[in-house]
Amino acid sequence: MEPVVAHELLNVEDDSPESVFALYEARGWGDGLPLVPPTPSRVDAMLAHANGDPDEPLVILQPRAGVVTRRVVAINCVLAGCAPEVFPVVLSAIRALAEPEVNLRGVNATTHPVATMVVVHGEAVTRCGFNAGAGAFGPGNRANATVGRAVRLILLHVAGAYPGTGDASTQGQPAKYSFCVAENLSASPWGSYAVSRGVDAASAVTVHCGEGPHNVHDMEALGDPKLILGKLASAMTSLGMNNAPISQGQYFVALGPEHAQSLADAGLTREDIASYLYEHARMPARVFRRHFEELAWDGWMKICDDDVSLPMTGHPDNIRTFVVGGPGKHSCVVPSWGMTRSATLPITG
Amino acid sequence: MTIQIYGPEGAIAPDSAELAATPMELSGLRLVVLDNGKPNAALVMERLATYLGHRAGTELAFVAKKGPGSRSANAAIPCAPDVFDRVVAAADLVLTGTADCGSCTAYSVYDAVQLERTGLPCVVVTTTMFEAVARTMARDFGMPNLRILVLPHPLGGTAPDRLDAWAQAALDDLEALFSPVEGPRSIEDRAADGLR
Repeated sequence: MEPVVAHELLNVEDDSPESVFALYEARGWGDGLPLVPPTPSRVDAMLAHANGDPDEPLVILQPRAGVVTRRVVAINCVLAGCAPEVFPVVLSAIRALAEPEVNLRGVNATTHPVATMVVVHGEAVTRCGFNAGAGAFGPGNRANATVGRAVRLILLHVAGAYPGTGDASTQGQPAKYSFCVAENLSASPWGSYAVSRGVDAASAVTVHCGEGPHNVHDMEALGDPKLILGKLASAMTSLGMNNAPISQGQYFVALGPEHAQSLADAGLTREDIASYLYEHARMPARVFRRHFEELAWDGWMKICDDDVSLPMTGHPDNIRTFVVGGPGKHSCVVPSWGMTRSATLPITG
Repeated sequence: MTIQIYGPEGAIAPDSAELAATPMELSGLRLVVLDNGKPNAALVMERLATYLGHRAGTELAFVAKKGPGSRSANAAIPCAPDVFDRVVAAADLVLTGTADCGSCTAYSVYDAVQLERTGLPCVVVTTTMFEAVARTMARDFGMPNLRILVLPHPLGGTAPDRLDAWAQAALDDLEALFSPVEGPRSIEDRAADGLR
């Protein structure tokens, strides 16, 4: 692709949030929240944290066929309120969302309320100040909040995922504002999720396009880790999820540190957890068939008799686990939009 | 003091292409229905194809689900390559859809653009509630004047006799979309619908 040089510069009365917000709102830009003015100096400060030509076309985002450059990512990072050091994290998340298996054209256009979960792994978590501990999916941390927001602003502005035209989501969901969390590596009994997927870099980022998190609360009163898994399987078993009719759909299981440790103490690996959930998150084939006219299932599932208990996903490897959070007995499940696969990439500038 | 700030959208790189040539005469042309499996999609498109045949002399060659081997259909991904090739080999005209949700609209429009690129006139069947999405996608995919037929909404859950009436009522529009005289309206003509 040829370098992109045209970047619109607009005159605005002053540097105040009110002036910038008014201008952006009049153009139909933004996510509805106040914006930091993307002045050339602020954008340059962001770009100083990456290598390479700021105007080099990197990837195309669908459906708008928007050209991603470091500069346009930097502009949106400024708008979102990012600190410059997280710029490569956002850039890498956007590269991941452009991977073909993510199916961003469908992710953005669907009536489903799919949001793009970003998980940050490795040394960038502490270096950039991400929260991987208590309340990590929630408010109160600049890196988590603004990286997720910057990704959404890029999906709006560059990918064209404007509600009602490029994003047909019937209801939307809060996670579409911002959906970024960091892996709690120090609390993970199984090491880094990214390394487990073959991405052995100092830092990495995973994107998964799905629903908001579904909480799973097991008090461990009976000291039986099977009960944690039983509740996780229960949360995964729902006819309302797109995982039900689409067998390639993944689940991300975000284990709280205490649940993770209990499962590890019972001798379970990531693969064991996935296999257990695959075996226990099931419904009779006839129930699936009663509810769906078309089932995007693996071939072996289609030929099963009605009485067979079929899994909510076509393969144990579609169930991915990582550790996040602080003290307490909560974990969560993030189901998939369905016709999408997660992607994990090294963080690069 | 006036300052300068960047706009946030950056450049676009649509893979632009022209519509296929529209036939001068419809009589005797083979029409294929490419079904994405949405509820009532095959029903309403088959009715449209049948009524167009009665009026203009087109022939409904077959109805094909868009999944591999036409054994299934998945509306949220492109048409399977083997089905695409089969349609291109057999059709003079294509009716596809239905574009009555988000991802199914994106991929109905995507499939139609790819078919038009091979020289096949292709009408996408959408509904009033998803027309804006369909026209946005057509513009984004480089073919803003794509042939789009708009039916009432919703198709899923609507009784067959009502769908039949909708198909009959849409026949003038369908014939016009395949006609060199009327043709589809441009995106500019539809600017009042609030498109970005």
